[in-house]
Amino acid sequence: MRLLEYESKEILAKKGIPTPAGVLVYSPGTISLPPPVVIKAQIPIGGRQKAGGVVEALDQKEAEYKVEQMLSRTVRDYRVNKVLVEEKLDTAQEFYLGITYDTVAKEPIAIFSAEGGVDIEQLAEREPEKVQKRHFSVRTGLPEYTAREMISQASITGRTLLGLSNIFSLLATIFLENDATVTEINPLAQTKDGKRVALDCHVEIDDDALYRNPPLAQKEKDPHRVEGGRIASDFEKKATEIDNLDQRGVAGRLIEFDGNLGLIIGGGGASLTAFDAVQRHGGHPANYCEIGGNPSVLKTKELTKHILSKPGVEKIAVIMNVVSNTRVDLIARGVIKGIVEVGKNPSETLCVFRVPGAWEEEGFKILSKYGVDYCDRTVSIDEAARRGVEKLTKG
Amino acid sequence: MGEFITLDIDLGRCLGIEKCGKCIQVCPVNIFTSNGDYPKAVEANEDECTLCKLCLQGCEVDAITIHKLYEE
Ligand code: SF4
Ligand code: SF4
Repeated sequence: MRLLEYESKEILAKKGIPTPAGVLVYSPGTISLPPPVVIKAQIPIGGRQKAGGVVEALDQKEAEYKVEQMLSRTVRDYRVNKVLVEEKLDTAQEFYLGITYDTVAKEPIAIFSAEGGVDIEQLAEREPEKVQKRHFSVRTGLPEYTAREMISQASITGRTLLGLSNIFSLLATIFLENDATVTEINPLAQTKDGKRVALDCHVEIDDDALYRNPPLAQKEKDPHRVEGGRIASDFEKKATEIDNLDQRGVAGRLIEFDGNLGLIIGGGGASLTAFDAVQRHGGHPANYCEIGGNPSVLKTKELTKHILSKPGVEKIAVIMNVVSNTRVDLIARGVIKGIVEVGKNPSETLCVFRVPGAWEEEGFKILSKYGVDYCDRTVSIDEAARRGVEKLTKG
Repeated sequence: MGEFITLDIDLGRCLGIEKCGKCIQVCPVNIFTSNGDYPKAVEANEDECTLCKLCLQGCEVDAITIHKLYEE
């Protein structure tokens, strides 16, 4: 769950991190904040500035006019139903402070840069020496002395160093206490009169942990909190229903596309890799999806039937990374059963099956029995996608 | 009948649910249900069988046979 800026700032302020004076406005009218002000659309997506979702006003009249305008707008596909109006501060320097979870190291990671207001990933790629990173334990959090060590590497000293490390340590505490996946202040401003203030921030909470935070869980359910965004198609909703048939694994997280090749793909990044590879080889996916965690044969079967029910979809490519917590034979059973139940021939309908891993011998026996051409782990995801596309186009 | 798996219970050997019923208790994917005094495999579920063999190990009288149709 991505929190809106004002929701994130409430959490920061409660922990003692300074934020600009501001008012949340739902309808046009008098703004009870002296100008100059910054007017910010409250939508759950980045890139607001470029899309015109953040504007400044120098006097009261301009502020009221711009608030009214903003409240009638759609920014990045979200209808703006509330704006945050904040005092405009005189900034001397800006910094980046971020905490996220490093899924490879399986630890939180603190990221700092003396250049705020930037895209941190681009900066890390372009000028890695300007970005400090440090893992920390979920048990200890980010102690202030560790934050100081990190920040001092950017040649920051004195009061600024002390002030920043205190905020950085608090940001890590917020990350841990709220089961966040991201807490980011970008930029944190040092004003001309020496104060440090979080100008913008971004907090995302782990959806699977929302039940531990009932007030936030309640907010997430509020249909008026966020208006707009991409609405799931009926095809996607039906896939979600399939995924909800039982609690075993995932088979139904699906996004619809307008191509002719049905995809049953999975394995975290592997599904993205497979999707990209299909396109790179000239294929047109009918859908993106994620399966994994050993879904029941029933769910995989129903998902297969659902994908094949889409007009124009004659063939399916099944591509996963080497699986350890999903069984190859159970995926093979589900896919083949789905194809058989819609009256098609598995050997013709499956243009590629590349799922190596747990119980693959058993899976390969099933595929052989139905005359399906399958690939083992010696065939890369990219090559499997190429073969699938070739079979689809050449028959 | 499953597309891939079928399970047979030899009722001549089976001790019945009241005396035993272990297959119903141990199967992690609910393949078995009661059919009067004896267990039976639910046809619609047979393809969910994980081949874990817990039922075979639990059955003291070797009454259960698992057929992998794709091997026949
Ligand atoms: S475990 Fe064997 S004996 Fe016991 S109820 Fe099942 S089939 Fe019958
Ligand atoms: S082998 Fe395992 S999954 Fe299959 S019927 Fe027996 S207990 Fe159930």
